[in-house]
Parts: sequence; structure tokens; C-alpha cells
Amino acid sequence: MMPLIMADTGEENIIRRVGGSPDMKKHLEDMGFVAGGAVTVLNTIGGNLIVKVKESRVAVSREMAAKIMI
Amino acid sequence: MEGQIRIALAGNPNSGKTTLFNKLTGANQFVGNWPGVTVEKKEGKLIVDKEVVLTDLPGIYSLSPYTLEEVVARNYLMEEKPDAILNIVDATNLERNLYLTTQLTELGIPVVVALNMMDLVKKAGDHINVKELSRQLGCKIVEISALKGDGVREAAESAIEAAKSGKTIPQHSFSGPVEHALAHIEEVTVHDLPEEKQRWYAIKLFERDEKVVEALKLSAETKAHIEKDIAAAEQEMDDDAESIITNERYVYIGQMLKGIYKKKGTGKLSVSDKIDRIVTNRWLALPIFAVVMFLVYALSMGKSIADGGISIGTWLTDLTNDVLGGAWLQDGSRAILESWGAAPWLVGLISDGILAGVGAVLGFVPQMLVLFLMLCLLEDCGYMARIAFIMDRIFRRFGLSGKSFIPMLVGTGCGIPGVMASRTIENERDRRMTIMTTTFMPCGAKMPIIGLIAGALFGGSTWIAVSAYFIGVAAIVLSGIMLKKTKIFAGDPAPFVMELPAYHLPAWGNVLRGTWERGWSFIKRAGTVIVVSSIVIWFLTSFGVVNGHFGMVESLYEDEEIVTNEYVAAVADRMDIPEEEVEPMDDSILARVAQPVSVVFRPLGFGDWKPTAATVTGLVAKEEVVANFGIMYAYDDNDGEEELEENGDQIWDRVAEDFNAFSNGHGKLAAFTFMIFNLLCAPCFAAIGAIKREMNSRKWTWFAIAYQCGFAWVAAFIVWQIGRVFTGGMSIVGLILALLMLGFVLWMLFRPYKESQKLTVQ
Repeated sequence: MMPLIMADTGEENIIRRVGGSPDMKKHLEDMGFVAGGAVTVLNTIGGNLIVKVKESRVAVSREMAAKIMI
Repeated sequence: MEGQIRIALAGNPNSGKTTLFNKLTGANQFVGNWPGVTVEKKEGKLIVDKEVVLTDLPGIYSLSPYTLEEVVARNYLMEEKPDAILNIVDATNLERNLYLTTQLTELGIPVVVALNMMDLVKKAGDHINVKELSRQLGCKIVEISALKGDGVREAAESAIEAAKSGKTIPQHSFSGPVEHALAHIEEVTVHDLPEEKQRWYAIKLFERDEKVVEALKLSAETKAHIEKDIAAAEQEMDDDAESIITNERYVYIGQMLKGIYKKKGTGKLSVSDKIDRIVTNRWLALPIFAVVMFLVYALSMGKSIADGGISIGTWLTDLTNDVLGGAWLQDGSRAILESWGAAPWLVGLISDGILAGVGAVLGFVPQMLVLFLMLCLLEDCGYMARIAFIMDRIFRRFGLSGKSFIPMLVGTGCGIPGVMASRTIENERDRRMTIMTTTFMPCGAKMPIIGLIAGALFGGSTWIAVSAYFIGVAAIVLSGIMLKKTKIFAGDPAPFVMELPAYHLPAWGNVLRGTWERGWSFIKRAGTVIVVSSIVIWFLTSFGVVNGHFGMVESLYEDEEIVTNEYVAAVADRMDIPEEEVEPMDDSILARVAQPVSVVFRPLGFGDWKPTAATVTGLVAKEEVVANFGIMYAYDDNDGEEELEENGDQIWDRVAEDFNAFSNGHGKLAAFTFMIFNLLCAPCFAAIGAIKREMNSRKWTWFAIAYQCGFAWVAAFIVWQIGRVFTGGMSIVGLILALLMLGFVLWMLFRPYKESQKLTVQ
């Protein structure tokens, strides 16, 4: 398991676990970041990521991405 | 509301909900706020059936209780019990959209799904078995294209039909342990509720949803009882209850879609991905952003087309000013009124008060409309969300999130929508800080102040306008850093998560509607607040008590029996000016009231009653600052030889003369500090009202106003006192105080963050 920030751009990964505070965790899950789901990093800029999850593009900050384990 | 059918429109953000709502209701819309919160509530009557009211719920991903939008939507669905839910689902993002649908179908309210963007799915060569999907979800599905208007009518009719006779029974189930726990919970807690609602409550209780637990008023015994069931399921599934439900929903949807959703091409980059490759590229993102911003401002506020620039906004504003602000309107109205034999005070009131004040404001409307149009375009095509993302890494250094940037951007047009745009910031601390600092940006109404100061004292130098934006941005950055180091704002900005919608060509209907809504509120203000305040200001400057006689000061001063030499000497003494400079207006009510207040501004270099009165009335509306200068400096001379002319240059000369006079020759510096103070101090009443609504707290509103005024005063003080070191005539005491304040600011900026303020995400 490693945090999402370490994933290679363009490579599809499976989410293993979502961490963070209960609020944040639930919010991430509602937006489609669930264990077992696929996630692809599309782009990084200054540590922040743009990822593809389900069929949508979501921008997540570095701190947030560090809580998503793949 | 008896007999009337009510339908709620629900869906994910960016699913085309606003477009569908506009298509369904046309012009029959009413905008308000949801009770108790600041989320905008839109309702409308359906075009197909005027008896049906459609309520547009906020865009949500889920019915969990974490964001304001979700709570609002939930409360409405549970408490107001609409007759049906029209759920718009983005077919290109089926999985995540259906996640909300599975929750909606549990509510016990008939649901109709409007499957949007089916045309795009078909175009991509994918196939969705709509019939089977409908069966598995347990509700009717209508294929639509909200943008083109296809199927919209049918969707509305289906929703009405469902409202009359439909029933939606959720078809999905959870895994064994969860269903087991749910059955137990239903049995012990909610069996006395209507049958169709039981499942929803049971699931929420399983999730330990605090708001539902509170609403059901369960006994401690019952709570302990169901807690055992939940804990057992959690142990068996090795996860917390909320996540279990979330995961199972996705698993269910995933399995359901396997046989229903045939995807043709996978792994191919979409157009949006390709655009994002460039637009959010590590190196290109900022330059592209700078170019976009430059275009927005060049088109709306830059050099007019007539002068070789590209600004349509400025060109239209110039045209409007020629018509509305031009001399003919005031002179013409004066001539007509005088020919009717109207009393001089009435002529003054209408021509110099109302028409001058309102004309000055209406002139901005074209510029505002062009700016709002640009911002709406950026928002509608999807670029606005990218801006927040790009700016996040920069703003984070000042303790603000990238989402704070959008309010500030909108704030350059008008502070009110700017303050309201802060709603998208989930974290309360960040939102408050954004609300407090957004109005530091020079809004459209402050532009004339900048124009006046630049024109009157700096020969129209564009550097003054540039410095105004720089001052605004600097004030935000400095405030961000300083406030973050205080106890109340301590802590890193909330981690950033934001969906980036797919790029699409702007939907003109939405863009024009959005532009008009913002523009209209601006015009309405000109029509109400500014008319009233223009009348009040005109009255206060025209009337007063002269040597014990009340009346219009102009006419009283013509009477030498009233205005004796001794009296003039007394006035000169009171106003602290030479005798030959005494004017009728010095006896006006406004001068009398403003003179003592001006003491506050003396250490800032503009402690004279005119700028004081202008600053204070600027609270009514910032346009008033200039409108006031217009009224105060456009007086007839005593001898009556010089006819009043609404000629800008003439007023500018008088303003420059006056500023130089009361500041002992430091006119430029005094004018600059006057501008700084007016840019940064508390915004107009309308914006303060917006701040109060968004803060939802009297205490915080006052804190924001106090902070803004305090910041403005200190900034102007430092500039005035230190500036005079270079222009000569410095005051030692003032300089020492200014340096002390500067030292304090620097100390706040560079002192380290406290240990306890480190990021705390468990």
C-alpha cells in the first residue's frame, strides 16, 4: 500500500483504503473514492493532483491525496 | 399549497441540473434562501403545467449530513415531503450519479430519473440498457438532453404522473450482516413510522447519523440496543458503519451496471482531459491563467474600443455616460423644471441630487454586465473550477484555500456576489477569513474613486489603478498570513477536493441568465439605495443653520445681515480655514456633522470635512464617494458668475486645490491615503449585509467590519506618516508610531506558527 501521491501519472490503480477525519473520509467516498474502486492520476501541479475516479475528474490537494492509499 | 403538486429536482453538481431547471420553468422562477441558511433556493412553475411547483435542490453527491447543501436537501425531502423527486443523472458518469439515486429511492417518495447527456453516451458508441436499469432501480427513466431540450417535456410529465400515482420501492439490498442489522433496527426503532419511510431511517440509524438520531429522540436503552447490532456488523465487515453502506452501494451499482452499461472505447483521453493537459500543465497553467484574466479585464474595464483598445465594457460605459451622466441630462432637466416655475430647491434636488447621483452609478452598468458575462462564461465552460485548483498552491502559502480565489475574482466586479461566492468553501474558518478579506479587492464601485484620485491629482496616471489592485491583493495576502497566526483562525486551510466538470461550450441561456441576475441586483441598488442616499446627501449639503437661521445655505449667505463679518470669522475658526475660504457649504448640516468626525482622519492626512463626509457616505454605496465629491465641489460660486457645470476637469481642479490646501501642500499623498482608506475600509451597506448573511452571526460581522476599518486606518496611517519623510514636513511622533505599527505587522508576518496549529487530519 502506498499513498496516491506516489502513483505514476496515467496509471490506473485500485484504492485500498481511504483515511482522514470521518467528515473528509465520507466526503471523499461520496465523490467516488471507495476502496476497491479505480483511480488514475491525470496530472500533478505543485503537489496537488487531478485524478480520474469513476467517470469524473477531481482535483485533490496533496494532503488529501496522502490519505488515499492504493 | 393544498392541492398543488410539488416536485423536487435533485442531482449531482455539474450534472446539468441548472440547465434542466431553466428549461422546465422558463421565466417563472423565484429565487430565495433556504430557511436559516445561506444556500440559494430556486423555485419555479413548470411550463407544461403551471399548477406544479418545481424546487431546485442544491447540487449534492449524497444525502449525508456533512455539507450545508446536503443538510438542506435532506431536510427538504424529509420534512416538506415533495410529491415526487425528479433526479437528473449524468449518463456519462453513471456510477457516481446513481450513488445518489440509490439513496433517493429509499426516501419513500416517487422518483423519476432524467438520464441526461444520453446523446454524448451514444456518440461515444457506448450503450445503456435503459429499460433494465429502470427495472433494477425501481423507478421510471426518461432519456433527455437538457442542453438541447430533448425529452425535457416528457421528463416533466412523467414526474407529474409519478407525483399523482407513483410509488418507488428500492430494489437494492445490502449484504447479509448489514440487512440483518437493518431488520433489527427497523423493528426496535421505527416500526411506528409510515412503512415507506422505515428503511431510510433504519439505514441512517445504522450509519449513526447524528441528525437522525437526534430527530427520532430515541431512548438511551434503544440506542444501546441498536448500537450492539451496528457494532456486530462492523466487526464482521471490518469497517465503520458509514463506509460499509457507502461501499456496498458502489458495489451494488457496479454489479448492476455490468449487464446494463456496454462501454465501447476505454482508455482513450476525452477532450476535457486533453484540454486539462494544457490548461493545468505545471508550466503553462499560470501563464494561461494570466492571459485569461488579462482578457477578462481588458474586455470589460480596459481601454475602450473607441480609443484603440478592446474593451466593449468601457466603450458602452462611455456611451452611457454621454447620455446619462452628460451635461444635457442635468442642464436639460434644470431648464425644463425652471420653465415650469419649479422652486429652486426642487430643481436642485432633482437635477443635482437624484439625476447626478444615479447617473454616475448607472454609467457603470455596461462595464459590470460585461464583467459578469465574462465570469459567467468562465464558470459555465468549466474553467472557473480549474482556476481554484491552479491558485490553490499559491493561496495555501497565505493560509487561504484556492477556493478563496473565486470570491475575490468575482469581488472585483461587485463585493456582494463576491462574498456570496465564498459559500463553496466547506471549512468554516477558511470561509470566514475569505468573507472578511474579499472586499479588499477594488470592486466596480470603487473604480471611480480610483479614477477621481488619479485624474485629479496624478494626471490620470494608470499606475494609480494598478497600485489599487496591488494594494487590494497585498491587503488580502497580509491579512491571510496575520490572521492565521491568531488563535481564532489558526490551522492549515482545509484540504482541497473539488470536482472539475467536463469542459463544454457555454450554454448561452444559463450564461445570460446568470449575468442578468447579477447585473439586475446592481441596477436595483442604483434605483433604491442610491436614489435615497443622493437625496439625503443633497439635503445635508444644501441646508443648514447660518447664524441662527435655518434654510438653504446658498440663499442665506446672500443675506449680509445674517452673514456678518464676525460670523464669517467664527466659521473660519470652527472649520480651521482662512476667512476668505469660507463657503456657504461650510454651514451645511453635513459640514457641521463631518467636521468633528474628521479628527479621526487627521492622522491619515485627510482630516477635512469633505473627504470625511465622502468616506462616511461611502458606506451607503462606494459610488457615493464620487457622487458626493460631485455634489460638494460642484457648487455655484458666491458671486454667481460661474455657472455650474458638470465638467469633470473643473471638479478635479477643485478637488486638487482643496486636498493641497488642507494637507499643507501634501495633496498627492493625502489623496493617496484617502484612496487607500476608502479601498480597504468596511464595504458598502449592501456588502455588509451580504457579510452578515454569510457569517450568520452578529459578532462575526462586527469583527469583520472592525478588522477592515482598523486595517485600512493603520495602512493609511503608515503611508501618510512615512510618506511625509520623503515629501517633507514629517511629524516625529507620527513617524515613531507608524514605525511601531509597521514593526508589529512585520512581527505578525514573520513570527512562526504555533506548534498546536499544525495540520490535524486524523
